[in-house]
Amino acid sequence: MFLEERMSKLFVSIVLFVFLISGVFALGVTPGRTTFDYEPGTQRKVDFSVVNSEKDDINIVVLVQGELNESISLSEVSFSMSSSEQSRNLRYILDMPQNLAPGAHSSEIVILQLPGRSSVSDAFVGGTVAVVTEVVVFVPYPGKYAEAGLNIIGPENGKVTFVIPVTSRGDLDLVRVGGTIDIFSSLNEKIATVSTNEISILSKERKEIVAEWDASSIQPGPYRAVATVIYDEQVLKVEKEFNVGERRLGLEGIEVNDFSLGEIAKFEILVENKWSQEIKGAYAEMQVFNSDGEIMAEFKSPTQDIPALSKALMISFWDTEGVRKGTYDSTLFLRYGASSEQQSLKLEISENDINVVGVGYVISESSGGKSSGGLTTILIAGIIILVLVNLSWFLFFRRKLKHRQ
Amino acid sequence: MKMVKNKHVVAIDFVIIAATLVFALVLVGYARPLIIAPVDELITTNSSVLFEFEKGDFILLDNNLDFSSPEKIYAEDNLIINLKPGVYYWRVQGALTSEIRQLTIQSEVELKLKEFADGKFKIVNAGNTNLNVDVYENGELNQTLTLGVEEEKEVSGKKFIAREDVSGGENE
Repeated sequence: MFLEERMSKLFVSIVLFVFLISGVFALGVTPGRTTFDYEPGTQRKVDFSVVNSEKDDINIVVLVQGELNESISLSEVSFSMSSSEQSRNLRYILDMPQNLAPGAHSSEIVILQLPGRSSVSDAFVGGTVAVVTEVVVFVPYPGKYAEAGLNIIGPENGKVTFVIPVTSRGDLDLVRVGGTIDIFSSLNEKIATVSTNEISILSKERKEIVAEWDASSIQPGPYRAVATVIYDEQVLKVEKEFNVGERRLGLEGIEVNDFSLGEIAKFEILVENKWSQEIKGAYAEMQVFNSDGEIMAEFKSPTQDIPALSKALMISFWDTEGVRKGTYDSTLFLRYGASSEQQSLKLEISENDINVVGVGYVISESSGGKSSGGLTTILIAGIIILVLVNLSWFLFFRRKLKHRQ
Repeated sequence: MKMVKNKHVVAIDFVIIAATLVFALVLVGYARPLIIAPVDELITTNSSVLFEFEKGDFILLDNNLDFSSPEKIYAEDNLIINLKPGVYYWRVQGALTSEIRQLTIQSEVELKLKEFADGKFKIVNAGNTNLNVDVYENGELNQTLTLGVEEEKEVSGKKFIAREDVSGGENE
């Protein structure tokens, strides 16, 4: 009864899909942007690729627009791509014009797909798709000139790291670049000031200055950082809001659908970022143990950035070839930064189903330093042996031998 | 006779120094993390990159060679890392530090257009970077939409021009 209902729903969905979608077009270009430092009179050749991702028969027109359009020439301005041609390599040549004013100058190379028939339904698609690869030329400002941003990392282990990327956009080098960061509470009270390191930056170069703030005793909540960058008696200000709070990733559920024993099982792991900031580079790692408690399988999801206070699905795959029916112990790790959250599970594996049963939950900090522990011991032992051998020879046996002589 | 013995001492000196150097080199070579993939100076448009290594505790990833603000990703061997377009420098830290390798993820601007029977379109960001999409109706710019990676929106229009959205800033 349930199966019949599902089948009829599927049928209705397919009919609706066929009626609603009458055509698909797709076009891509790589790279999306190329930047150059200004060198008047020079020529730059740039290769770029047009991607026919839908593998359609398509007609393409390429044109240049923007303030540098008279300085850019194209290898091809119109061409056709057949369904077997997935990408076409093209080239443009930029002749850097004379006397450009300081600042950024850009142009666009527009790749336009002319309307035509879609490969999906053979219907005529009335829309036109175009993608752009941008060309940007930075002309240095006279004298000293800096551009800065502000990235806030953490808190991690109670510390917030402020990273200020500074780009020297002037034609003179920056000799001393440093800064201070004032931290304000939500009531706009200044609660701390931290200083960055001091560096020098060559013209057209990009470097970072960094400051750390110990936020371990700070109340959770929103804060504002105002960074004052001082470069050779000139001042630049950037600011950003950030949150201090507990960084935690919670497991909401695990599902394995459409499974057949011996095939590849797709684990869908639903996690929730309970922190008020994005968690970067998180991934799930799963270990499955045999009856002797040995790891018989280990698989991971790709890393992903999970937005603040939101849920995300992590996908990992397990090849179950050679696996027998039964109940297996398993451990799921949710890893992010130096933190790792661990959940003990049982996998009840049958011919067409994997049932995931949760058992316990452990949160641990800092999973690092495990695998290289043994190596570090070997390294230290080796160094001690070397030092002992050398000391005993040069300070003892060698002298003794010389005395005998 | 004394001359001969002095020669012996010098020979033992030489053997000990040489053996120390060889042993130290073997020790460092053994303890140093072994990087298998990706190769140095890889340029790709695929945002999912497999990092394959041995004898490591974590990957340090940064957009500058000084590693002044690295992202630390704890993984003891292989891991697929999803990265935004940009130039990255990375190394593996274990008992010792590995060599530094460079990796470039090139941005790919890709727009997918699905036309519905009612004349409306669904636009999908099928590339690896955020997009600004200009929507034209009757030859005039109607609106500009921002689409995150894999994001889709339903929209009315006839011409759609997609370009990389750089307002999000550079990779950190």
